[in-house]
Amino acid sequence: MTKRDLAIEIEAASFFATDYASAGDALAGVERTFTAPRFTLLVGRTRRFTSLVTQLHIEVCGALPQANGAASVFATCQGEIQTAHRLIGEFRDAGQVSSAHFAQSVHNTPSGLYAMATRNTAPSTTLTGANAIAAGWLEAALVARDAERPVLLSIADEPVPSALGGPPEPGGVAAAFVLRSANAGARLTIESGEGGGAGDGDGDGEPQRSLELLARLVHAVTAGAAAAITLGSVLPGGVLRLHLPQRGAS
Amino acid sequence: VTDVIARPPRYAFTATAVANCLGARTETVLARAFRGENAFRPANAYCDLPFETEVGVLPIDEGSQGEALDCAPTRMARLAFASARGLGDAVRAAADRWGPRRVAYVFASSIGGLEHTERHFAPFPPVPESPYAYADHAVDATSAAVARHLGALGIRMAVSTACSSSIKALATALRLLDHDLADAVVVGSADTLSRTTLFGFHGLGLLAPTATRPFALDRHGLTLGEGSAYVLLERQGAETTRRALGWLAGLGSSSDAYHQTSPHPDGIGAELAMRQALERSGLEPGDVDFVCAHATGTRQNDAVEGAALGRIFGAKVPVTGTKSLTGHTLGTSGLTAVVLALESLRRQEIPATLRADPVDPDLGLSVVRTLAPGALANVLVNAFGFGGNNATAVVSAHPHRPEQA
Repeated sequence: MTKRDLAIEIEAASFFATDYASAGDALAGVERTFTAPRFTLLVGRTRRFTSLVTQLHIEVCGALPQANGAASVFATCQGEIQTAHRLIGEFRDAGQVSSAHFAQSVHNTPSGLYAMATRNTAPSTTLTGANAIAAGWLEAALVARDAERPVLLSIADEPVPSALGGPPEPGGVAAAFVLRSANAGARLTIESGEGGGAGDGDGDGEPQRSLELLARLVHAVTAGAAAAITLGSVLPGGVLRLHLPQRGAS
Repeated sequence: VTDVIARPPRYAFTATAVANCLGARTETVLARAFRGENAFRPANAYCDLPFETEVGVLPIDEGSQGEALDCAPTRMARLAFASARGLGDAVRAAADRWGPRRVAYVFASSIGGLEHTERHFAPFPPVPESPYAYADHAVDATSAAVARHLGALGIRMAVSTACSSSIKALATALRLLDHDLADAVVVGSADTLSRTTLFGFHGLGLLAPTATRPFALDRHGLTLGEGSAYVLLERQGAETTRRALGWLAGLGSSSDAYHQTSPHPDGIGAELAMRQALERSGLEPGDVDFVCAHATGTRQNDAVEGAALGRIFGAKVPVTGTKSLTGHTLGTSGLTAVVLALESLRRQEIPATLRADPVDPDLGLSVVRTLAPGALANVLVNAFGFGGNNATAVVSAHPHRPEQA
């Protein structure tokens, strides 16, 4: 077993779920009527044609003004999968696609719209795939260690369309965090065994289920209690864990 | 704000592989690219469309490699493995040097497995070989299989920032090396042709009816292609230096913060990315021997990139547009250009921009129109994407920044 630590400071966190009013409610299973994001950071024409996953990202990023001017890392397991499904239907049935939907079909659509809304020319990266949550945290922590300003980490996913075989799941969930490099405080720990073969954490499995993990993260950060949360696999047989100290203890 | 600090020492490119419409094998692609061969075909070589355009199709026989893929036999997987196989010996040697868990794998793609989803939900011959699973739509659908095949058992990540994806993946790789989370990183990228992108770019009025003509006075849009590109990036060491094909000198990136599909009209974001890459390389604009431009061949993109290049380099630096050879391979285009740049350093020749005559005089650029010999040490490579996502890499023949040399 080998371990690597990266110290970070988590300055702020935000959470939004279409079916839960708060991270605490999500953990307690207290549902609400489907509530769409308001994503007020986007105004006018930039609001049009946005997908649920983009709206979710913008909602949680907009709740963190501390991130203004920050470099950003966006993470999403499936990206704009509803838009992709829609575009396929358009060319199959009508022999053309909506330019507006096509323009917003790339994984970094939320990143581009966030940059436009905040007039932020800082670099932005989008991580994706089955381990996107863990990979996003790792990337954001590394960017924070290189940058002199905070880093915005935004994580969101929308349901995979049922026509594509997506599992029944809550509507959509997102969380965002403002991270800074630090010498103490929270720690991201990469813990890896020496086996390194196929199997657990090899990345062939289902995408991470976002809701519970993101709710646990935001609840723990805002509560200020000590916690150790497994973020997921970043290498075969290895996981990334976030260790949060009790507030005031670091 | 910095995206990545390219501090010395630089990291070595110790192996490359590329596959696209010029060929399914690296040596074929490179030979044909430097001979300036046109490989585009009418779009019906790929699919029937209600409009005219050409495409760059990877010449692989579907169904011939299914048993060896170790993942769903999608076209995306065939593209990824077409290049990745070429890197196998080099990655295994790196795993021997550093340990397999110190060899990371960063994959980049713009559309991932979208083409596979299309085949299932908008029928298209040949019939898909595997039942549909939405996991095969994902950008990282091939990652575990390719990494296992190569023996890269370290950290695994997937990047998707549209057409800048693979240069952004280099930045992610650099961070893993900078922070000692890996000693070697396989950076790979693949993007297929797809009907969504063909219809989509046509709808935006950006698709050329005939072969693309970057920088030409009468340029008329882009030609889509498909392909894959892989590089092995390693920390310095005696063996690494012996094997080095070139060095990653620096990277820069920025956001336009302007429009989802159109570049900032003044090229501010592009300029910012290029200046960052130069700064982190320890190079002055005059040190750059040529630019491998993003050069999509659309009127606006070439004009904006040309203006940004002019402000940094003036009119003297040679500029080439390799999408005239490969087509626009979306997220893979940046890494494809890096592989061609490394081959330029080896050959001491700059590949030509096809069909650029007459060059648009308003661009104020020295466009390379025929294979150009030269004393080449440093190459700047641009990749810009939807969302205003800009990325630039500087590839060098030298392992050290000038002040260290």
